[in-house]
Amino acid sequence: MKKKVVATLLTAAMTMSMLAGCGSSDDSAPAATPAADNAPAEQEAAQEPASADDSEAAAETSGEAVTIKLFSNLPDRKNGQGLVEQKIIDEYMAENTNVTIEVEALDEEAYKTKFKAYAMDGMPDVVSIWGQPAFLDEVLDAGVLAELNEEDYLDYGFIAGSLEGFKKDDKLYGLPRNTDIMLFYYNQKMFEDNGWKVPATTDELLTLCADIQAAGLTPVAMDGGDGWPMACFLTDILVKVSGTSYADIISNAIATGDFTAPEIKQATQILVDFANAGMFQVGYDSQDYGTTMNLFTNGQAAMYCMGSWDASMALNEDIAPEIRDNIRAFTMPVVNGGKGGANDIAAWNGGGYAVSANSAVKEEAIKFLNYMYQPDKLSKYGWENGVGMSAQDQTAYLTGSETELQKQIMDILKNATSVSGTPINDCGPSAFKTAIESEIQGVSNGSTSVDDFLAAIGTACK
Amino acid sequence: MKKLYSNKPVIFSLVLPGLLVFLFAVLAPICLSVYYGFMDYSGMGKATPIGFDNYVNLFHDSAFGRSLRNSLLLAVGFICIQHPLAILVAAVLDKLQGKAEGIFRCIYFIPNVISVAVIAYLWKFIYNPDFGLLNNIAKAFGHPGKINWLSQQNAIWSVLIVLIWHGFGWGMLIYYTGIKNIDPVLYEAASIDGANWWTTFFRITLPLMKPVIQINVTMAVISALKQMETVYLLTNGGPNNSTQFAANYLYQQAFKAFKYGYGNAIGVVFIIICVLATVALNTIFRDKQEA
Repeated sequence: MKKKVVATLLTAAMTMSMLAGCGSSDDSAPAATPAADNAPAEQEAAQEPASADDSEAAAETSGEAVTIKLFSNLPDRKNGQGLVEQKIIDEYMAENTNVTIEVEALDEEAYKTKFKAYAMDGMPDVVSIWGQPAFLDEVLDAGVLAELNEEDYLDYGFIAGSLEGFKKDDKLYGLPRNTDIMLFYYNQKMFEDNGWKVPATTDELLTLCADIQAAGLTPVAMDGGDGWPMACFLTDILVKVSGTSYADIISNAIATGDFTAPEIKQATQILVDFANAGMFQVGYDSQDYGTTMNLFTNGQAAMYCMGSWDASMALNEDIAPEIRDNIRAFTMPVVNGGKGGANDIAAWNGGGYAVSANSAVKEEAIKFLNYMYQPDKLSKYGWENGVGMSAQDQTAYLTGSETELQKQIMDILKNATSVSGTPINDCGPSAFKTAIESEIQGVSNGSTSVDDFLAAIGTACK
Repeated sequence: MKKLYSNKPVIFSLVLPGLLVFLFAVLAPICLSVYYGFMDYSGMGKATPIGFDNYVNLFHDSAFGRSLRNSLLLAVGFICIQHPLAILVAAVLDKLQGKAEGIFRCIYFIPNVISVAVIAYLWKFIYNPDFGLLNNIAKAFGHPGKINWLSQQNAIWSVLIVLIWHGFGWGMLIYYTGIKNIDPVLYEAASIDGANWWTTFFRITLPLMKPVIQINVTMAVISALKQMETVYLLTNGGPNNSTQFAANYLYQQAFKAFKYGYGNAIGVVFIIICVLATVALNTIFRDKQEA
């Protein structure tokens, strides 16, 4: 009897598990089937610039329940940019009660991996993207993003040139969210207490680092474990060495796979000299973002090299007020003999959003995208939350109560005589990006020579 | 019952689920990998056939070579450090008896119960040059501290220590079970004959543990080749690929560098190496058993 009961239970469990394995998800089936059946029609539609304003379909669906799936690279929904994104989503859902927005958020690396899986098997409706060749080239070649009508955005206040990275063959496929500037954040009080001054040249920077080291502190906290911040740092040096010819030098090097241009060589050598002088913390080449930032926000490092998106540190209540209130920033000092001036800066329009070409609710997704980019949304909320500079004109939203750091960053951008555009690691194909972000660790820590480094990244372009 | 088991439709229906799982979860992906290994494919859009180019590039790829060398180092570490220690500890535990035996068995197995993510971050903190445990211990002994345990030169050894430490519990538990299955009468007879602990260990325990050692060593070599999660979370193969392992490199190439075809070529070579390693180990052990 006992055996029979056990046998019956096992049979039932096996049947259930097989049924579960064979069953299809109710959520995915209706969305996937029409997309597959109507693939040619969808592709045709994707070729036409989509506009939310002239769409009857959007008007028809306005009363019906619509679910928009948003795939985001901002997993922290309570701070910084993630908070801004969530706030806009909540407002949109409150204003459009028939719309539900489901958010799936992963950090950058996991995001990019899953993005690729989605690209093969049906994308969510609205996605985060990067307007840089290393990410966007393959994505646009695969035709997974919907074309947007550039004329719809004429009065959205986008900064001149900021849409360029999101275009292919003069067609627009996404919108930029930020203007990112590479910065040295520093602790002003620590500087004043020790009589240190913001350096004007790289030689002064080296002297300053020696003074900071003598005081028993780390001069610059550098996230070398991830590779890309150091590549942005190299971009910053290269801008000071080559001035406005930065973009030409890099695009030529990537096209030919030859990185032996004297400017690139000199910039790399300066990076190596910085590292050899002990500018960065011990073990910088294996430490991650959080650990590095903590060195600065805990007061163990006098400076921290990162993009302007980290300006929200000045409003982060998890950071002690004596540090938080004293965070200031400066840009890379000039290189003696370099062509770049103090106001030639490393800045670019990186992250942004796009709509999936095969979205079942494409019109509604574009309506939401346009809502996010209304000047009083991403731009205004971003400014209020101190997440750095938007890719849109923000002057209307200055409140007078901005942090000193925000004002400084705004001035840096206002006074810029030239901006670099895409950082070096994002200028080439993704194989080049992977190679340079790994090889730069080797060249900076001295295990690879400058020539070998330049040869290795050149090979990755071919 | 006998009739039932000799009925061909019954045999077929019993074998079918396993066969289907093997076909669709193992064989089909391998075939797809072989197919994509001959393609220039980013993972999106169109794939272009490029013949053996991916394989040619692979054999000139120094990072892949380093990842195989690291796997070999790890396998040697497992076989020469982890397993001898595991056998010794298992033998000592067997002799402990009573409560202590259970307590120590649990303690040695704890690292295997903790998630790999926790282990990786735990060791990241232990190795940190600014506030890590190891440097603080070094400071307590008068060293100025700030040793970079994860530098280009040291990182591979630091990673090997974590991996050997983490896998120790499994090896020990399997050896411990093997030792428990040895007939105690043999030990009694040996002790009557005046054999000491070392003699019984080398003359009784080790020879009777040969099948267990064979399984454990094979599993260790395969797990050294397959190493991914801990390395991914601890160093992600860095600095500059110095702690790169084949599975992690495959992931980076396929999903970060958008070289899906190349990633599949790595996968195919990887499968061949794993199969060759298993066959070689089985041959070595079979020869010894026959001898």
